[in-house]
Amino acid sequence: MKPLLGLAGLGGFVLLLEVIPRAGLVPSRYLPPAAEIAVALGGELADAGFWAALRDTLSGWVLGLLIAAVAGVVLGLLIGAVPVLRELTASTIEFLRPIPSVALIPLVVVLYGASLQSKLVLVVYAAFWQMLVQVLYGVRDVDPVADETARAYGLGRAARIRHVLWPTALPYVMTGLRLAAAVALILCVTGELGIGAPGLGARIAVAQSSGAIPDLYALIVVTGLLGVAINVGARAVERHALRWHQSVRGEAAV
Amino acid sequence: MRRYLAVALSAAVLAAVSACGGSSPEEPGTDASGPSKVTVGVIPIVDVAPIYLGKEKGFFSSRGIDLELVTAQGGAAIVPGVLSGDFQFGFSNITSLMIAQTKNVPVRIVANGAASTGVPGKDFGGVAVAKDSPITSAAGLAGRKVAVNTLKNIGDTTVRESVRKAGGDPAGIEFVEIGFPDMPAALESGQVDAAWVVEPQLSAVKAAGGTVIASNFTDTAPNLTIAAYFAGTKLIADEPELVKNFTEAINESLAYADAHPDEVRAVLSSYTKISEEVRTALILPKWPTEVNRASLATLAALGTTDGIFGDAAPDLGKLLP
Repeated sequence: MKPLLGLAGLGGFVLLLEVIPRAGLVPSRYLPPAAEIAVALGGELADAGFWAALRDTLSGWVLGLLIAAVAGVVLGLLIGAVPVLRELTASTIEFLRPIPSVALIPLVVVLYGASLQSKLVLVVYAAFWQMLVQVLYGVRDVDPVADETARAYGLGRAARIRHVLWPTALPYVMTGLRLAAAVALILCVTGELGIGAPGLGARIAVAQSSGAIPDLYALIVVTGLLGVAINVGARAVERHALRWHQSVRGEAAV
Repeated sequence: MRRYLAVALSAAVLAAVSACGGSSPEEPGTDASGPSKVTVGVIPIVDVAPIYLGKEKGFFSSRGIDLELVTAQGGAAIVPGVLSGDFQFGFSNITSLMIAQTKNVPVRIVANGAASTGVPGKDFGGVAVAKDSPITSAAGLAGRKVAVNTLKNIGDTTVRESVRKAGGDPAGIEFVEIGFPDMPAALESGQVDAAWVVEPQLSAVKAAGGTVIASNFTDTAPNLTIAAYFAGTKLIADEPELVKNFTEAINESLAYADAHPDEVRAVLSSYTKISEEVRTALILPKWPTEVNRASLATLAALGTTDGIFGDAAPDLGKLLP
């Protein structure tokens, strides 16, 4: 039922997109009707350059997300487990977290030019905070009774991390990963747009400067679909990783 | 699980190391046996059509240059790219290069880029107003909102000159920074009273009923040089042979492009998304092989008057080849 409703919503949106320019509410020069966008999309799919751009965007996304996830988990566990570190870093994290990645564009352009590295810096910076903050919440959520019990049974540090801390933090890690995945995609495309690093964003920029409006919207549609696919994928990973967790088990039982 | 983590971790470390190190491109021209790889930073606009055409025609490969063209978003990304060695050469408008020179950025022009057609009313860029606008000449721009793609650059400097030439006072103009792609919509919706547009947006504005009220390039100087290809001074000192070959290849490309407009219009489809209808009709720039020094002196003087170089004045001797 749910997917049907989702599709119906999407269909309604497409219909709206078709009607608004046709009715002249917005000049179709600047917002082409859905049918024209679909034709342009077909043209893109038949173009080898499009697939190369898609590959560039996705490889930047995967790499950036991977670096951010590993760094976020490792540092999050470390900082969260050591109270002194948590006190030391709390204000710094709060200071750095709201800085929009996009503000770093001039800096990374000077450092790395229009390259994959530039894009990765932006992606990692944005996705890393999402991960780190969630992991910190997760570590804080450890049940002190469970931890004390584990200590009493003589479990060492590594075993406590493995059996107490990690299972507690995992739902948070998964939430962080889902948020980071979406943010990483946004920053990937934004970075390509702003810097000109190869990918869908750079292709959007070329369509823009050429005044190819239907193409521009076709590429935006592709970016949107990527976002949906990534979100669906992230949720599937989350469900699989947490299949033992009561929140997921509860869903299945209903 | 542990094995997965190990794999992920090592991959991340590898990626981080490669991201930090940055693979520096092969030193160009060091290998005498094969062609030298040359990367040029360009903007995906009409002005750079000759270099694409020259690449297709083999003007670069015949001189032992394996040319790769990278499209960056605007000159702001190209100058750093040339300085960091990502690009051996770059394409930029003249005023931006002068601004870089006054800040002692070590770059120098190696070849001409693009020039005004020199024909008032039939140039590839101009000041346009929307349909039904009361403004009919540059003099009417005084006190109005005018869009330029970058503030304190070639756009506002030349538009002010247009207004002066028409007998108006440029002091009261309010310049607004809007990217070229967004200008047709900004004009039509009345966000701005006029806009400095270049092709292909100029065609779009005309198609929407807009008119060109001033040709700011021709008002500034006859046959104004608008942009040029440049390199870092280090490359020019270290690789004189490569730079000489590149300049020759560019000059051949410029001359060929000027003589074969139909091929230029065709090559536009290889690196832009300009529609066929616009491609066949748009006004192409001129591509002389020589930088017009007199027009550069005019641009420098105007920029100094407008205060875009801060306290300094550009030293053209250090910028020109």
